[in-house]
Amino acid sequence: MKLKKSISAAGVAALLASSLLTGCSPKEETESKHDKTTITLSGWGGNPIEKKLLLDVLSDFEKSHPNIDVKFNQINDQYMDVIKTRLIGGTAADVFYLDAFEAPGLIQTGAIEPLDKYVDKDFDIGDFEKQQLDAFKENGKIYGFPKDYSTLALFYNKKKFKEAGISEPPRTWEELRADAKKLTKGNKVYGLGVMPQIERLYYMAESQGGQVITKDHATFAQNRVVRSFQPFLEMHLKDKTAAQPSEVGSGSGGEMFGQGRAAMVMEGNWNIPFMKDTFPKVDYGTAELPTINGKKGTMSFTVGYVMNAESKHKKASWELIQYLTGKEGMKKWTSKGFALPTRKSVAAELGYDKDQLRGPLVKGAKYATVWQDGPMLPIIMNNFNNQFLSAYLGERPLNEALKDAEKQANKEIKVTE
Amino acid sequence: MKKRPIGRTILYAILIIYAVITIFPFLWALSSSFKSLGEIVSGTIYFIPENFTLDNYKEIFTREPLFGRWLLNSLFIAAAGTFLNLIFNSMAGYALARLTFPGKKSIFIIILAVLMIPFQVTLIPNFLILKELGWLNTYQGMIIPGAVNATFIFMMRQFFINFPKEVEEAAAIDGLGKFGTFFRIVLPLAKPALAAQTIFVFMAFWNDFMRPLVILSDESMFTLPLGLNSFKGQFISFWNYIMAASMVFTLPILVLYAFFNRYFVKGIKFTGEK
Amino acid sequence: MKRGKSFIKRTREAGQGYLFMTPVLVILGIFVIAPILYAIFLSFHKVQLLGGSHYEFRGLDNFLKVTFDDRAHIALKNTVLYVVIVVPLQTMLALVLAASLNAGMKGQKFFRIVYFLPTLTSSAVLTLIFMWMYNQNGLINHLLNILHLPTYNWIGDPDVALIAIMIMNIWATAPFFMVIYLAALQDIPGSHYEAAELDGASGMQKFWHITVPNLRPVTSFVVIMGLIGTFQLFDQSYIFSAGSGGPNNSTLTVVLLIYQYAFKSLGTMGYAAALAFLLAIIILIATLLQRKFSKEESLY
Repeated sequence: MKLKKSISAAGVAALLASSLLTGCSPKEETESKHDKTTITLSGWGGNPIEKKLLLDVLSDFEKSHPNIDVKFNQINDQYMDVIKTRLIGGTAADVFYLDAFEAPGLIQTGAIEPLDKYVDKDFDIGDFEKQQLDAFKENGKIYGFPKDYSTLALFYNKKKFKEAGISEPPRTWEELRADAKKLTKGNKVYGLGVMPQIERLYYMAESQGGQVITKDHATFAQNRVVRSFQPFLEMHLKDKTAAQPSEVGSGSGGEMFGQGRAAMVMEGNWNIPFMKDTFPKVDYGTAELPTINGKKGTMSFTVGYVMNAESKHKKASWELIQYLTGKEGMKKWTSKGFALPTRKSVAAELGYDKDQLRGPLVKGAKYATVWQDGPMLPIIMNNFNNQFLSAYLGERPLNEALKDAEKQANKEIKVTE
Repeated sequence: MKKRPIGRTILYAILIIYAVITIFPFLWALSSSFKSLGEIVSGTIYFIPENFTLDNYKEIFTREPLFGRWLLNSLFIAAAGTFLNLIFNSMAGYALARLTFPGKKSIFIIILAVLMIPFQVTLIPNFLILKELGWLNTYQGMIIPGAVNATFIFMMRQFFINFPKEVEEAAAIDGLGKFGTFFRIVLPLAKPALAAQTIFVFMAFWNDFMRPLVILSDESMFTLPLGLNSFKGQFISFWNYIMAASMVFTLPILVLYAFFNRYFVKGIKFTGEK
Repeated sequence: MKRGKSFIKRTREAGQGYLFMTPVLVILGIFVIAPILYAIFLSFHKVQLLGGSHYEFRGLDNFLKVTFDDRAHIALKNTVLYVVIVVPLQTMLALVLAASLNAGMKGQKFFRIVYFLPTLTSSAVLTLIFMWMYNQNGLINHLLNILHLPTYNWIGDPDVALIAIMIMNIWATAPFFMVIYLAALQDIPGSHYEAAELDGASGMQKFWHITVPNLRPVTSFVVIMGLIGTFQLFDQSYIFSAGSGGPNNSTLTVVLLIYQYAFKSLGTMGYAAALAFLLAIIILIATLLQRKFSKEESLY
């Protein structure tokens, strides 16, 4: 009895004390005294040259907007966790990168500012690739503008192809399987480096008319989805011509390819600067992903700039987004080839469709599946990948694994309700 | 005493084998930190680097300009936190052992109860309270919530209960008040217990991962473990850098330990009469 | 209450007592007791803190969700497995090491410093060092290869990832408890051993009949601390799996799950608070069970 009383008394006292302390804590300065506004921009790193390019673009912006200073803040690890924690804590940047795949969930919470009211005619929304822009729309409103994108293409090692007597990259999955057999050398070199993850395989999952997600619920255990993965799994389990990076001690697909442990990988535009930096001696080419049942398919990943709904400097923030996703800013940002432009006019001007390495990536944009499918996709991805891996490793049949994963994903969706 | 040579040999064998097991990972990390990336990815396993290089150490400080800042953050937070813990825990431990006041027993029970609560229970509310205080992403947000520790209040109480009463009585005769007695006479004599506490508390602050992960979001405020994790995120598969950074992180605590080592085992007292 | 003290003296001492306790009471009040009450509040609500805070009373919903949340079951299973394997092993290892060290061996100081290295090193650093050794082409697989033992994809294979963390943690934590044992061993009167030696007891016999029983209160402490520590496994899983608890949920622990629900998914902070309470109850039960088995009245 006594104990209970003193506990509750202590609790009340503590609450009082904490509210007192809150009352005393200095309120943050909101408006700077000078007429200069400082806004912060959060993003992830990328390689040092890429970062320098961004800083260059930002300093161009500062020159043309002398009353705005931009502070770039780089988040290297667990980007979304940090962004969410900062949004809750009220310490998030004014403008930040947002992967399309995470966008619907975050937009639903109301933490992102809708941008329609800021846009004027000169900004020319119609110039954006529709698919990429739509990834940031919710209920008819635009919450972000895509800064760049990449699709997946087939990277192939020319030297290994020559040694195996293959003259050109495979055009269909059947050809790919046959080539991979020729290219594989035991467990030292695999024909194909793969990532057994839904974000890389979504287009494949729906290639036979199946649906991964229906009305915010997982439906990927249906036969039409399961069947579509069969060739992919068989390459690893039966042919033993495909492996994931960790099986050969590599940290990523690009690394596996660069180290010569895979003769082919399916990667995006990011892999081109990576190869140039890390493995400059490897001679490789790119091609469109092989067709599945005669149909072309690939993934498209896009990242946009969004505005914090609690930003104290919304006008300045919009100026920044407008510049960065405008024709001039985007042209500079994508001019060095780290990323592909989402504006048609910029794409035409830079001519990446004619670039030898990037051509196949640009061609993919027309038929790619954009990696975004509603607010529940992160949960569904997690559960799918977890179980898909066990099927990939041959521990259990795929239909069983996916049935379990589907059940689990839907339970987890129920937990968040 | 009769020695048993076979038993001794077995004991030495146990000790030596385990010493090798313990030190092996550190030596491997140390040796990797002196290797070039080329040697790291080549997959050769040599303990002595083929081409000994200090470049990794140079590189981590230039490639990650915040590195020094993280080191300072960690040092400051751990030092300040340890200092407050030593004073506050000892004061409370002393009061619980030596002074009479109403509610003492309930307070002691509450402190024991607090020991049992996993800190994850308080993690989320703490985050929200710190948010209200405006203490997210600040030093005080990292230091103050951890400035007392139920375990060491308990340890200090056990220590002071066994402490000879005569010393304090003499001080009282000399006209020193309770505070004077405590800070001038009792505390200096509690060195072994304080030394043990210093190492434990410093280590807890220094190594803490989850609290800074939640509280600190600005990279320039990061402590070493967070910084190291972020560094790993950025230089994934550059194991030569990661190992060099790990070695830099480990050094300060080794120095501290070397310094306090002699008090260490003596001061640990978790059991004993109540 | 002691006799012979005047009322004034008692009041003064009480005042001083509170003064001595003030910092502890204030800090514990704000950062421990109040948060516990706040956590109780949260656990009965659906909490969405993004885009302005929303609290919606949900009664026992959050606690009931645990029954159908498969990931919570997996996390609990992993955590319990981890506790059941790690605690006994690390305790035994700590005891054996301490007793060996305490047998009056030469170089005791040297061994003690070496053994203590892992305890001094941050778990973030240790996890990275082990990830480097566990690498597919890393040191450990290389050694296994030399010994003609099977090699594993330690980090990527769901069957062994948790075991990899267990090995690492036993290695890292045992020396810490060894030091606590060592401190206690020095309190065992030498006369006990001398008496036994006169009776012709062997080293092993002395260990079983004198050392182990005399250390029982400390063992109780070590086991309880071990239980509390292992139930709270987080850093290693987080770094190993980059926060996901993968591969295939094999390194998902209860605390990692709490973290994910609180800071990764949106709007599940209340559920995370409920999970934290359930974990606290589990730890409490485990501790009580331990006490019941060891029948010790020594510490808590």
